[in-house]
Amino acid sequence: MSGEPRPGWKNLLQGTARVLRAPIYLLALVTITVMAVLPQFFGTQYFALSLVFATIYITLALAWDLSSGLTGYISFGLPFFFGLGAMATGYSYYHGVGGSFSLLAIDFGVGLLGGLLFALPTLRLRGPFFTLLSLLLPLIAASFVVAFWQVLHMPTIGYIGIPFLAPSPQAELPILSVTTAAVLTVSFLLRRSHFGLVLRAIRDDEDAVESKGIRTLPYKVAVFSFASGIAAFAGGTYAMTTSFGGIDSFDFQFLIYPMLIAIVGAAIVRGGLGGIVGSVFAGYAIILFSQYLTLPEFNLQELTLPIFAFVAILLVLFLPSALGRPSGPREAS
Amino acid sequence: MTRLVVSELAKHFGGNRVLDRVSFSMRHGSLALVGPNGAGKTTLLNALAGVVRPSAGRIEFDDLDIAGLSTWKIARLGIVKTNQVVRPLHSLTVDEHLRVFTRGNDPVRRARALRATNLEEFREQTADQLPFGALKRLELAEAIVTGARLLLLDEPIGGLSRLEAEGIVETLRTLRAQGQAMIIVEHRLREILPFVDDVVALDRGRIIYDGPPSGFYADAAVRDAYIGRTDAGG
Ligand SMILES: Nc1ncnc2c1ncn2[C@@H]1O[C@H](COP(=O)(O)OP(=O)(O)OP(=O)(O)O)[C@@H](O)[C@H]1O
Ligand SMILES: [Mg+2]
Repeated sequence: MSGEPRPGWKNLLQGTARVLRAPIYLLALVTITVMAVLPQFFGTQYFALSLVFATIYITLALAWDLSSGLTGYISFGLPFFFGLGAMATGYSYYHGVGGSFSLLAIDFGVGLLGGLLFALPTLRLRGPFFTLLSLLLPLIAASFVVAFWQVLHMPTIGYIGIPFLAPSPQAELPILSVTTAAVLTVSFLLRRSHFGLVLRAIRDDEDAVESKGIRTLPYKVAVFSFASGIAAFAGGTYAMTTSFGGIDSFDFQFLIYPMLIAIVGAAIVRGGLGGIVGSVFAGYAIILFSQYLTLPEFNLQELTLPIFAFVAILLVLFLPSALGRPSGPREAS
Repeated sequence: MTRLVVSELAKHFGGNRVLDRVSFSMRHGSLALVGPNGAGKTTLLNALAGVVRPSAGRIEFDDLDIAGLSTWKIARLGIVKTNQVVRPLHSLTVDEHLRVFTRGNDPVRRARALRATNLEEFREQTADQLPFGALKRLELAEAIVTGARLLLLDEPIGGLSRLEAEGIVETLRTLRAQGQAMIIVEHRLREILPFVDDVVALDRGRIIYDGPPSGFYADAAVRDAYIGRTDAGG
């Protein structure tokens, strides 16, 4: 009657294999691979570094899409967890932790815990109030960091001299491509799982979901903690790319670009926000284009964000259904 | 057998007393809750399901006072309500709706509910694409798959054609025969009263009738409340 398998390890593996045969997912994997290999053979150091940044932004976009895109709880807290990861990297390094992967594992753990502490009280609130609080988080953290470093009378605000993840961007890119592919895979599987289905249901009508006996809070907290862990991990890789973990990482560009990538991704791939895969394609396109505009011969750095913001506004206005926005007001009863 | 005893239940919105010390109990497995528009039927169901918090009174379900508990707790205890105005998850397919709500994620239970509500042909369609009749059946199917012991059905055949209504009434009859307890709010008495055990009638927040369907039409208070309105038949 129903093709749904009963739970069990064998079925879980089979189900996983079935999900991962999706053409769009495979295409995203191929894209990541090509982008990892390309600068090994041609292009400048700058091109390779741009692609490194692209993988970092894509990882952030995946985290944002999985949590905010899928649940409809829009969070502006990404820069907080990104910055937290970057700072944690510096702190751990200067307190004797050696090895890039230990540092990144710590970052993930710190982000997970931070996300849990933030999500548990705030996700009891409904959408707009949660969004507001998430916006305050990076602001407060940034001023706190600035104040703290001023007390110490340090010249730069943050940890300098963090070891590089790899000796060159060309060498770093394959590593970050693998982690990006891993985040993509886990996110894609979660989205297609029963867990992801409940999150989509929450986005559509949370009260209706609760009224049928499903407590939504644990689902929301779980996905936001996980996404915070990923964001902190990405912050760690950024710190190891720039050799600096500090105030820069709390910048709102680490919210705007990932959101933009997720929105554009949602518009180009069927499934709307929370569709996960679109971020990969949109991420390379947007970050490479913005890095291109930043080149000295154009020097249009100041224009890149407004251009993309304008694109995002157009998408939201004219393709609301592509973004999975509710098609109309719904009466309560 | 589920036990539901409502005592002195009150609900006011500001100065508007919508439920005025309502007391009744479920003596058998099915009960029709009727009354004119604005009588407070939906508000009563909402109070039972935890959607609104009662201002006063007790709701005992299996000897536990559930008044004021959150909806998910009440639903887990076994009381699940459908909505008078259909309220689907617009981006989910019919199958996905049922996968979200099926107790124990049991595919057999889900398949049975799909068949019982005649929704098999719509399985892969999203709620956005469904005709009204299918949305009403989906509302019912969602409640069924939760495995609730007591269903609160708010106008399950409201707005449906006679033919569509017949289909749902047939489903309800089958559920009854399988021992499913239910409280049905309906205006279409001719279609519902024949198969319920008891009738409770509300008018302006008060109970004006509580007894078997056979005595309902003859009751003076009922006639008063329904003048010119009795069984409009949809
Ligand atoms: N949330 C609310 N706030 C204020 N007043 C409310 C609210 N909900 C219901 N009411 C009022 O309570 C009264 C009863 O409403 P209710 O929806 O329970 O009636 P009903 O018997 O279900 O009517 P109908 O047969 O039309 O569905 C109405 O006067 C309505 O305006
Ligand atoms: Mg009503």
